[in-house]
Amino acid sequence: MITLEGVSKQYKKSGTHALNNVSLTINDGEFVYIIGETGSGKSSLIKLLDGEEQPTSGKVMVNGINVGRLRFSKVPYYRRKIGVVFQDYQLIQTKTVSQNIAFALEVINKPRKEINERVREVLDIIELSSEFNNYPDQLSGGQQQRVVIGRAIANNPKLIIADEPTGNLDPRRSKEIIELLEKINKQGTTIIVVTHNDILVNTYRKRTITLENGYIVNDNPEGGYYNV
Amino acid sequence: MFRRIGRAFKEAFWGITHHFAMAFSTANAVTITLVLVVIFTVLVANISRITIDVEGDIQIYAPIEETVADEDIGAIRNRIEKIPGVIRVDFSSKEEELQSLIESFGDDGKIFEIYTGENNPLPRAFLVSVGTGYSLAQISSQIELIDGMASATYGGATIEDFVSLLTGIRTVGYGFALALTVLAIFLIYNTIQITINTRKQELGIMRLCGANNSYITAPLVLEGIFIGIMGSVVPILLTIFGYRYVYERMNGQLVSGILKLIPVYPFVYYVSAFALAIGVAVGLIGSMLSANKYLRWKR
Ligand SMILES: Nc1ncnc2c1ncn2[C@@H]1O[C@H](COP(=O)(O)OP(=O)(O)OP(=O)(O)O)[C@@H](O)[C@H]1O
Ligand SMILES: [Mg+2]
Repeated sequence: MITLEGVSKQYKKSGTHALNNVSLTINDGEFVYIIGETGSGKSSLIKLLDGEEQPTSGKVMVNGINVGRLRFSKVPYYRRKIGVVFQDYQLIQTKTVSQNIAFALEVINKPRKEINERVREVLDIIELSSEFNNYPDQLSGGQQQRVVIGRAIANNPKLIIADEPTGNLDPRRSKEIIELLEKINKQGTTIIVVTHNDILVNTYRKRTITLENGYIVNDNPEGGYYNV
Repeated sequence: MFRRIGRAFKEAFWGITHHFAMAFSTANAVTITLVLVVIFTVLVANISRITIDVEGDIQIYAPIEETVADEDIGAIRNRIEKIPGVIRVDFSSKEEELQSLIESFGDDGKIFEIYTGENNPLPRAFLVSVGTGYSLAQISSQIELIDGMASATYGGATIEDFVSLLTGIRTVGYGFALALTVLAIFLIYNTIQITINTRKQELGIMRLCGANNSYITAPLVLEGIFIGIMGSVVPILLTIFGYRYVYERMNGQLVSGILKLIPVYPFVYYVSAFALAIGVAVGLIGSMLSANKYLRWKR
């Protein structure tokens, strides 16, 4: 379970108030969209959730962990429990599909045998088993993003947070990505997706939280784009 | 375990080979630093010894005036012994003075034998030993104030000036070496910063996937240490062969016979180990600072 209590984030450098007094609860197994105009604070919210940034005030709790107060040496151990996906695919170009997925498990010192088994499972989930030996530049954008999602789920996280995972993809590829995330969600993983894509939000209806100038202005469990 | 260590080494070498020019010039800077550190260390070590030798060896020569009767000598001796810093006072008779004069000239000394007995023009004297840390000049002038004493002399002002010059060199040397070491740390820091920049994406992904601090830091720190070791090769060779050369050229002496140089072995090994330790420390500190800065910024 994720709870934010009166969370504000002000960036020291610019003085920008990116989030203001945000409170929300997301239960295990939910699929949530976060929408809002550019600069409304969506990415800031994601960075608070993955521990990259710390709140100026308020409390960020994820599965009983006070993420906002995490010491920087403890951040890695928290990251192992979550999966993060960004808009730019962030694959290592010199590694193949399987090597990119395996990388996530190598850096946390999983045994080789376990890595190999899990990579095969993940390739199956992301439906790229036959491309396992391709390099990222031999894949389409949609396929690359699926590999990123594969890497994010490699360690069986209970939570996936994705910041505009379909930002660089055409509508058909975007649907594939959302469908993949839905599939992962069905297996019990909580999914939080930041998106600009109103077609997706209106087609695959999920709870939708709208941010505006750092405030939550709408939290609609029925889903669909929020129109003022 | 071995896989992990192997990875750290592999990545560290990747860093060095990937921007070899940068790593190489940093290693050169470390080399220059360590060459100077080594030179200062050798100087300081020798100076420290020379200072000890000089201070330990010096006696004040205090001649007694002709007019003083033999029975009064004991009283004067008591007064000199009471001066703070005086460890020992030895009396030297006319005959003993002549004898040591003859001896100090070796074979040529025989010509002074004509002064033996009644003709001996040399004064009786006290040889005053002074404890380390006391000023020879000050004690000499106190002796001169005693009735019956002529002007007292010690190895001369030159030795004292020399000692204080050496102490000055030592202080400046320490300061200079320290400043250079800080500079070398800064250069290593910059090189590792470049490694971090070229591997930014990979490191970012590692961080995202939960690689812990030491997993990310280890290869970077190893790279820094390698550069430090690379930089200490030339200084170590220079120490071993350079010092031996200088020692042999100068017959193990400095300035004059009483100031002996420290024997080559095992001294050069200690200095080499010291240079290597500084190289490693510089690499370690520079790279740790760099890696930690990255981790704190990245979280
Ligand atoms: N690291 C930072 N330092 C200073 N200001 C920042 C930083 N990151 C974001 N901001 C500012 O905080 C505000 C919210 O930014 P944020 O990235 O959260 O918006 P967003 O909703 O993700 O926008 P977009 O849709 O363009 O991605 C913006 O005004 C932005 O300029
Ligand atoms: Mg954003």
